[in-house]
Amino acid sequence: MLLTVEPDGPVPIYQQIRDRIVEAIASGQQLAGSALPSTRQLAMDLGVNFHTVNKSYDILRQEGLVRINRKSGAVIRRDAGSGPPDTSWTRDWTGRLVTLLAEAAAQGMGPEQIAEHCRAAVTAFAFPRAAEDTRQESRP
Amino acid sequence: MTAGSLTAVIAVLLIGVLTCVAPALTRPTLQFGVRVPPQRTDAPVIRRERRAYYWRATAIAACCSAAALVLAGSGSARLTAVVLPAELAAGLSCFWVARERIAAAKHAEGWYAGLRQAVAADTSWRTEPPRFPVAWLIPPVAVLVATAVVGAVRYPDLPSRLAVGFTASGTPDRWVRKSAWGAFSKVAGQLWVTSLWTGLLLIIYRSRPDTDASEGADSTRRYRIFLATYSRALLALVTLVNVGLLLAALRDWQVYRLSGIGAALPVLPAAAGLVILVAAAVRTGQAGSRLPDPAARPGPVPHVNRDDDRFWKGGLIYINRDDPAIMVGSRFGIGWTPNLGNPRACLLYGGILAAIIALTVVRAVAGA
Repeated sequence: MLLTVEPDGPVPIYQQIRDRIVEAIASGQQLAGSALPSTRQLAMDLGVNFHTVNKSYDILRQEGLVRINRKSGAVIRRDAGSGPPDTSWTRDWTGRLVTLLAEAAAQGMGPEQIAEHCRAAVTAFAFPRAAEDTRQESRP
Repeated sequence: MTAGSLTAVIAVLLIGVLTCVAPALTRPTLQFGVRVPPQRTDAPVIRRERRAYYWRATAIAACCSAAALVLAGSGSARLTAVVLPAELAAGLSCFWVARERIAAAKHAEGWYAGLRQAVAADTSWRTEPPRFPVAWLIPPVAVLVATAVVGAVRYPDLPSRLAVGFTASGTPDRWVRKSAWGAFSKVAGQLWVTSLWTGLLLIIYRSRPDTDASEGADSTRRYRIFLATYSRALLALVTLVNVGLLLAALRDWQVYRLSGIGAALPVLPAAAGLVILVAAAVRTGQAGSRLPDPAARPGPVPHVNRDDDRFWKGGLIYINRDDPAIMVGSRFGIGWTPNLGNPRACLLYGGILAAIIALTVVRAVAGA
């Protein structure tokens, strides 16, 4: 997985790291059970403070996408094939989605145009069937 | 020509060659220590400054090599060694002239305006880390052990005064009293060289690769090949330095005595090792920048590497307090450099410097 962050960009670095990992999970680059680098290693590779990466991992843990333990470090907990998420998570996500779509509508985009952008973004994701195929390919 | 003056001549020649080829070894997006976007690597100012640098560096290398050869012919190793700092200073001046002009053009023309600057990390570097070439440590350690064993066997039969310096004719010209340190100083040298480079390479294997945001995972693939090739070349150099020290120790222990150019025999293995190292550097380039392109290159990428010139003092010294890295890739030429903004890197290099001073003092006391 290639993690690219813009240190001088408007989005905080911890948020960018969290976003890139979520995108990698959604696109099937990171499957459930795969390991992430330790916080210190990733901080060294990105040239950022260790606490920044720690904060990203902590958000991912709270969101249920990553589990962290002392021995195995950070491991992906969920992916596109892990089944439906909790109802409470879906409710929160819908709230954020409404705000995001409202931004497009407020800027003058029509429903068809918004739906087209959504479809284009979703085609890059690995949904259950694609995720299963990737798993089978990675098996010896 | 003594062994000492021959060593100085080899050092002058090597520094001259490295100064001349350094821009060709460096990444195209790092021109004389200045970060430039991929779209500007062929800018007129860069082409002009590279051409001027090559002319200047070649002239300096030629003059210094000629001066070193003439001075070495007079037999003075110290006088020959004086050429080396002069050559380094002249080479650095050429570097800074080119750097200042390229940096001025970069700022005046706003090369990074409107570009999305980023840093990239390839997580496969940590989940599938490269393996340290442990097998390549066997030859230098074997030479070290062999030297220590021969020394232990020879020690009881050694005279009360040991010859440690020789003239061109092979006649001893420097003596030390017989002592464990005096007799085994070459073994201590082997131990120092082997442990220093093993330790530094272990740190380098744990450091970050030079992942380029505009090249993506391909830059990590190249870095893996570069690290594997260059670390093996370094360990081959360590082996050959140890062989040179073994030959010097055998001469000190009166196992053999050669006169004329043969007296310089202990210098030759290290010179051969340096040739191997330069060959590896020319083949791979810094971080694998000279390796062939992959058959299928990825499409256009939205990012360029972050403009990090502000962390590089004089274009060569890296100081970034927010970066946890101890070692990072060199900005000019080939290899690695410490992050002097990291206290652990300062401790490491302070320790190495202290050890060199301590070894020099002990050697001087033992020889007094």
